[in-house]
Amino acid sequence: MRPVFGRHPSTLGTSGGWRRRRWLTAVPIAVALVLLTWMLAFGLTRNPDQIRSVMVGKEAPAFALRSVDGSAPVRLDRLRGQVVVVNFWASWCADCVTESPALSAAWQRYRDQGVTLVGVVYQDGAGNAARFARATGESWPLVLDPGDHTAIAYGVRGVPETFFIARNGTIAEQHSGPISYGVLSAEITHLLGSSA
Amino acid sequence: MSRRWYAVALAVALLAAGATLAVVALRGPAPPASMNERVQRVAETVSCPDCIDLSVADSPSITARHLRATIADRLRRGWTPDRIRADLVARFGASILETPPAHGIDLLAWIAPALLVAFGLGLLGFTLLRWSRGGPSPAPPPEPLGEADRRLLERELAVAEGDVE
Repeated sequence: MRPVFGRHPSTLGTSGGWRRRRWLTAVPIAVALVLLTWMLAFGLTRNPDQIRSVMVGKEAPAFALRSVDGSAPVRLDRLRGQVVVVNFWASWCADCVTESPALSAAWQRYRDQGVTLVGVVYQDGAGNAARFARATGESWPLVLDPGDHTAIAYGVRGVPETFFIARNGTIAEQHSGPISYGVLSAEITHLLGSSA
Repeated sequence: MSRRWYAVALAVALLAAGATLAVVALRGPAPPASMNERVQRVAETVSCPDCIDLSVADSPSITARHLRATIADRLRRGWTPDRIRADLVARFGASILETPPAHGIDLLAWIAPALLVAFGLGLLGFTLLRWSRGGPSPAPPPEPLGEADRRLLERELAVAEGDVE
């Protein structure tokens, strides 16, 4: 028979109660551990940069913003019927420098196919934005957003952030962080091919 | 004074303190007097979108400053604080609020404190009850030993006394 160590002989007669108390302690600890592990797994496996914006599927907020170069303001309602790519950016933002060649390539390829790219300058001056555009060869419309009214209307959390607006004026997709030519091309091609 | 009366007095004092806190929590803070205070009240409930763990009221960022201006503008136009918050949630998502929504996984954040308080109060009541009775209750009489346990006990005692190698 297996000897029983670590227990006083007087407790041997109450083994049922002792086991019950052990279960009463173990079960809540196990439940708490499972909950904690599940919450950690849920939180740590989600990339906060890839959380889908709640604006996707909604009507794109209207804007009429002054151009960096002093030309006519850009009004979103005048672009209805086109696919519009709205890119929030700033000259002080390193990731915006990274994504600039991809935006340039997409602009060159799609500008004559019913696609408009609008660069909304985020918390930056017109002079800085114009110098950046000259240095990188950006030729698409760049507009100013004083007071961040448009950025707030679109729920922008930081730059760069890009919104794809379908022909019917709804936000079809949103991308946080530097965007690649592949993502730009795929989204634009999809929107050009869809009836929306 | 006996231990029982000490326990009763302590329990009454704790209940009175809890009731006072509950009344204060239900009444809420005094209504804001100026527009700055109204903006501050709303901004305290909104998270700064480009900061970590800072409200729009506390953050020095440009975004927070612009959001405070937006809140002030909407209050001047007659929007209620709830409508302003609902509009921000529609644009940024529920995470823009400093307090989590009361549904889904976020419901845990609302339930857990209440459960912990209830557990703590229960434990406190139980401890006070035992203390007022003058110590832990006597252990229940042991159940009679079964045959297997009796043989095991005899063997263990024999080993302890050196009768068995």
